[in-house]
Amino acid sequence: MKKLLYTLLMALYLIPNLTQAQELVGSVGSMWSYPVVYQYSEEVTWYFDLSGTTFAENEDVYIWIWSPSEPDAGNWENSSEFAHLSYEGNFVWSFTLTPTEYFSMSAEDIAGSAGFWFRLKDLTGSKQTEVANMPYTPIDSFFTADEMMRSYPTEATLDGGLSILFNSNLVDGFADATSVHIHSGMNTWAILQEYQSWLPEIVEKTKLKDMGDGFYKMDLIPSEYYNDIPEGFIMENITFLFVKDDWAGTSPELVIYAAEYIPPPPPEFRFFPLQISQKDFLQISRINNETGINTLIYTITAGSTEINGEFSGNMDEIKGFIDLPTLLQGIPNLTEIQVLVVDNQGNTIIDTTLPLKTLD
Amino acid sequence: MIIGFLAFFGCNKSDDGSYVAPITVYEKIAGQWNLMNLKMVDEVAKATNISPNEQNLSTWFNYDTFQITFNVDGDNQPTTYEVMGNVPPLFAASGYYELSTPFQPTTANPILIHLYSDAAHTNLTDVLQLTAVPGTNAQMQITLVRTSGGTPFVSYVFNLMANN
Repeated sequence: MKKLLYTLLMALYLIPNLTQAQELVGSVGSMWSYPVVYQYSEEVTWYFDLSGTTFAENEDVYIWIWSPSEPDAGNWENSSEFAHLSYEGNFVWSFTLTPTEYFSMSAEDIAGSAGFWFRLKDLTGSKQTEVANMPYTPIDSFFTADEMMRSYPTEATLDGGLSILFNSNLVDGFADATSVHIHSGMNTWAILQEYQSWLPEIVEKTKLKDMGDGFYKMDLIPSEYYNDIPEGFIMENITFLFVKDDWAGTSPELVIYAAEYIPPPPPEFRFFPLQISQKDFLQISRINNETGINTLIYTITAGSTEINGEFSGNMDEIKGFIDLPTLLQGIPNLTEIQVLVVDNQGNTIIDTTLPLKTLD
Repeated sequence: MIIGFLAFFGCNKSDDGSYVAPITVYEKIAGQWNLMNLKMVDEVAKATNISPNEQNLSTWFNYDTFQITFNVDGDNQPTTYEVMGNVPPLFAASGYYELSTPFQPTTANPILIHLYSDAAHTNLTDVLQLTAVPGTNAQMQITLVRTSGGTPFVSYVFNLMANN
């Protein structure tokens, strides 16, 4: 009895396969592209995670795409070689195309279409995935955003793609640039890819894509772009500047933080108290110091008297009190003091004049 | 019941004992005091609710060795005062002093400690506030307030304990 029931169920299960000659292998998993963002006229590689399907490792997989156009129309039972995906390993397949060429459409027409709709299939069409849509991130908004730099994604990962957009129109002196290059380092210049303008291969490697009208784009994967990355390296940021031609101009220093890396709060210098007289202690302090900053060196000029000293601390805080009551005792007619504070790397932290209150 | 009330009033009868001079503040502050804690207050920041508005100076400039002595004569009248410990000159380190009142005032205004460089009390050097008068706990608090145009901008709060 039980056996008969199973047989019946099996028979019912097989009916759809008789009417529909194709086997659904499952849905396409995550999809991404490199470059992360691209224009339709740019060559791009799409990546598909098929680990959730019944496609076998290294199986020949083809793309059947009908929107925005259907390049392989009429060949369902024998896909063309141009629709053949590459196996990247670990159940990830890739497909490289230049959309305007592959679809024989203008960028405008592709932009106006319903997007990239497709199935992935085997050569003969006996196996296919569910219908899938390759997402596309337009970058048009950058051209009118008045942003000097924008990155996709906003936060970088060591092994993931990164697209960095640059609006050179917002930096003085870049107007007539022949080429723009990126001079950069991970973790605040610790792991470098400098723009060595005398090395042709580095000139090429660091060169941004010219998108016209003063807009440029750099695409890179940090783990491949930078050399000599130590084992166990944790990326905190990519710090960089854009360089015009052979160092004819530079942008301000810019930074992209790494994903899941919490950027430190900005350093904060302060005097305590807010107002002082000649007979009061003056505290100088700086919190949230940068890596390597552990000492504040001060020079106080009061009339013809100069006071020097330093306070040490750590990245969290450096602070100390200056004994003005002793150091300025008996100096007549002081109305202000000049305070210069530099850090142990020679950066000027503050250079200002503090008025002295007249005591009642 | 009525008898009980009468008994109560009876106990409240005033005492006709001999006159004893009330204890003056001079008697309470006379002697040597050690610093427990010195706090610097940013009165401008405090008034505008900006943080931080206080810093602890106890471990700076030898303030752990700070001592102050107020001397009185045989009649418990003020004579000299002296700061000991190698500390910065926030106020004159020695001289003569006098309180604004010898008795604890009933108002909230603190007693002022006028400091003079001369025994005749003609040359005022600094004014301190006695912001907490010693009680049974043998502690007091002296505050030095810096003002400009009548407005306080910094103060120093000395918490002191009697050095017995």
